[in-house]
Amino acid sequence: MSTVGANFVSTQFLANSLVAPVMQAQSSLTTAMTEESTGQYADLGLQLGDQSGYELSLKEQVGQLQTLTSGNSLVSTNLSTAQNALSAIQSSAQTTLNDLVAWTPSANSGASLQNMGQSALQSLIALANTTSGDQYVFGGINSAVAPMADHYSTPASAAKTAIDQAFRTTFGVLPSDPGAANISASAMQSFLSGPFPALFQGASWSADWSSASSVNTSAEIAPGQTVTTSTNANQPGFQQLAQAYAMLSEFGGSELSGDAQQAVATAASSLVSQGLNSMVNVQAELGSTQSAVTNTNSSMSSQLTILQGQLGNLDTVNTTATAAQITSLTNQIQMAYELTSRLQQLNLAQYLPVP
Amino acid sequence: MSLSTAFNVISSSFAANAAQTAVVSNNIANVNTPGYSREIANVVTNSYGGADVASITREANAALLEQVSSSTSQAATQQAISDGLTTLAQTVDDSSSASSTSGAGQNGASPSAMLANLQSALTTYADQPTSSSAADAVVSAASDLAASLNSASAAVQQVRETADQNMTSSVNTINSLLNQFAAANNTVVTGLQTGANVSSAEDTRDSIVTQLAQQIGVSTTTAANGSESIYTDSGVTLFQDTPRAVSFTPTPTLVDGANGAPVTVDGVPITGANSPMPIQSGALAGYAALRDTVAPEYQGQLDQVAGGLINAFAESDQSANPTLPSLPGLFTTPGATSLPLTSATTGLAAAIEVNPNVDPSQGGNPNLLRDGGISNPGNPAYTYNTTGAASYTGRIQELIGQISATQSFDPSAGLGSSSSLIDYANASVSWVQAENQQASDSSSYQNALATQATSALSNATGVNLDAEMTNMLNLENSYASSAKLLTTVTSMFSALLQAA
Repeated sequence: MSTVGANFVSTQFLANSLVAPVMQAQSSLTTAMTEESTGQYADLGLQLGDQSGYELSLKEQVGQLQTLTSGNSLVSTNLSTAQNALSAIQSSAQTTLNDLVAWTPSANSGASLQNMGQSALQSLIALANTTSGDQYVFGGINSAVAPMADHYSTPASAAKTAIDQAFRTTFGVLPSDPGAANISASAMQSFLSGPFPALFQGASWSADWSSASSVNTSAEIAPGQTVTTSTNANQPGFQQLAQAYAMLSEFGGSELSGDAQQAVATAASSLVSQGLNSMVNVQAELGSTQSAVTNTNSSMSSQLTILQGQLGNLDTVNTTATAAQITSLTNQIQMAYELTSRLQQLNLAQYLPVP
Repeated sequence: MSLSTAFNVISSSFAANAAQTAVVSNNIANVNTPGYSREIANVVTNSYGGADVASITREANAALLEQVSSSTSQAATQQAISDGLTTLAQTVDDSSSASSTSGAGQNGASPSAMLANLQSALTTYADQPTSSSAADAVVSAASDLAASLNSASAAVQQVRETADQNMTSSVNTINSLLNQFAAANNTVVTGLQTGANVSSAEDTRDSIVTQLAQQIGVSTTTAANGSESIYTDSGVTLFQDTPRAVSFTPTPTLVDGANGAPVTVDGVPITGANSPMPIQSGALAGYAALRDTVAPEYQGQLDQVAGGLINAFAESDQSANPTLPSLPGLFTTPGATSLPLTSATTGLAAAIEVNPNVDPSQGGNPNLLRDGGISNPGNPAYTYNTTGAASYTGRIQELIGQISATQSFDPSAGLGSSSSLIDYANASVSWVQAENQQASDSSSYQNALATQATSALSNATGVNLDAEMTNMLNLENSYASSAKLLTTVTSMFSALLQAA
């Protein structure tokens, strides 16, 4: 009575056979449209699976390089500020040196020596206290404190007191006392090469002149590449220039004899020359850091391009392919609707004569 | 053959016709009933040459039914696991981020992305160690990281608790289905003894088995008296003449490290590590796997990340002759007085927090990040920046290094024993997404199989309207012929009687 075989299809199955494919196509269509509009996979995690960690690590590298690049601009700013200050220190030193060469002992010539020293020392201290943002660029890691104190403050600064004391210890008088006129040029020379330089070195320098830390700041300018990114006011250049300017300022306008003044001027110009050379070295060190920063920036930028390309390969969809997929899915769904309505007509009852 | 015999034949023909029409009507009425097996009237020749409907059989197909229930079970398992993993995968969702030019802070919400953000914040801080806003940014990145671990851990707990609740309702469904099955089975057995039509009861039984397969993998056998027995796919009896008690004690709160109760049948556990015969499929198996294996494994990884963080940011005694133990620094847990061992990290992901000593919103001092002494601000032994220099970056750079430095992890969390913190966190993301992808793929595959098997079963045992209509036409014709025959025989009788 019944005809069971491979060709047998239940009416229920026939009626519902298109439901599942249409639903699947509609779900694929939603996904494809999301991907088409965003250019990225609708569910990236599901798409990438165990590649997710790799994708994330690429993103982290990108983030790290971007952070380093923006940090490097800060480093560059600090370095340029320091370089400008160093150039200003050099030009002031050069001016002083030129003035010293032109100077000859005469009446009141001591006052010009003193002026020379005082203005140069003030400019040195001001430049040594240059800030970039809230950091003193010559402070080393102790960047929150001004590296050099005002020499001409009232009450007298520690440095001035120490100089006066050293002078009195050697000669029994202060530079401003009339008795200082009796100091011979050779005695002055031996003071300037003995007790006086000691005030500008080691513990005395740190105690009286500089609050800077000898430890320079450092920064990571590229992954794994940490460089020294500053210099500090404890460099020999600062000590030499401070020493030269201080001797001019303290002993120039004093009661010293012409010969002794000549000895001061000679000693000062030799120190300024040394200081100039030292500063050039410091500038060269900073300059090499600056070029290292520039180089790492450009290499990081090309690395970023590569990483972002890799990321793009992982998480962006081919929109052309998606567009084609959308078209074919739309066609499929239309076809399914058409078939469903045709199947409704395929019913024997429609063709039987009504009795 | 006498005319009266002809009458008998015609009358049996009417009876058979009526019985067949009833079968056709029944089939047509159930054309859209899912799981209905079409009936076939078996017509035989009776003793005086007429036709009788001797029996009505169901067009059943046990093999296809078995296939439907097994693929349904598999699909339900994978669906249950996939649903749970989708929730877990949301904790590492990074699809919101754009690859192109996004900077730090847009990598999504995973602990791994948060760790990268912390690294970025530290790098920025190292460039401007005097900036208190940079220090605050590090503390807030660290808080976000701790919060993301807390919330991921909460999500794991949520998934496990939901799975536990689902197991409760699944067990209730199984028990209720088994009781319904008992009733239907009874009808079949007594019906077969009394010769009643049991097709409808058999349909009910099949439909219950299919529903049962949704919850738990089953296999069935039928005894000589028509009674059907149900076993789990691992061989534990669920129904044999009477339903067996499936019991389960729910655990409402499943904190990290707590274990849920197993499902038992007659006292024998059928889920969990201690089960001698664990079930393989069905939603119940999926929920159990999620609650007892998948989610705890992810929890273990989160705990390892939390433990690794606490250790990476720990502070050591900086004295010339160190005697004090290292203590938790930036990351700690409430009341912690020592560093966690990698083998004992249970509960850390849920409890990890930024040390209040460094958190400005809790009265802490963010500069301790640079200077050290977070663990114990009163003890100078843990101070790294001994000179108090504003631009001291040694400690910050050490911390940045710690994030990518290799450290040891507990291999039982499934991600190896030695890795950097950030790689470990990334590997954990990969693990979740790979599991999610696999469960999702497997779920669609099993669903497709189940759909296919259901179609095949429907085609093998369902009703075709056209076939039934054809039968109906046949029956109409046969009825018309029988009526014609009756008229003819009647007129023959009349002729005979008039002649007499």
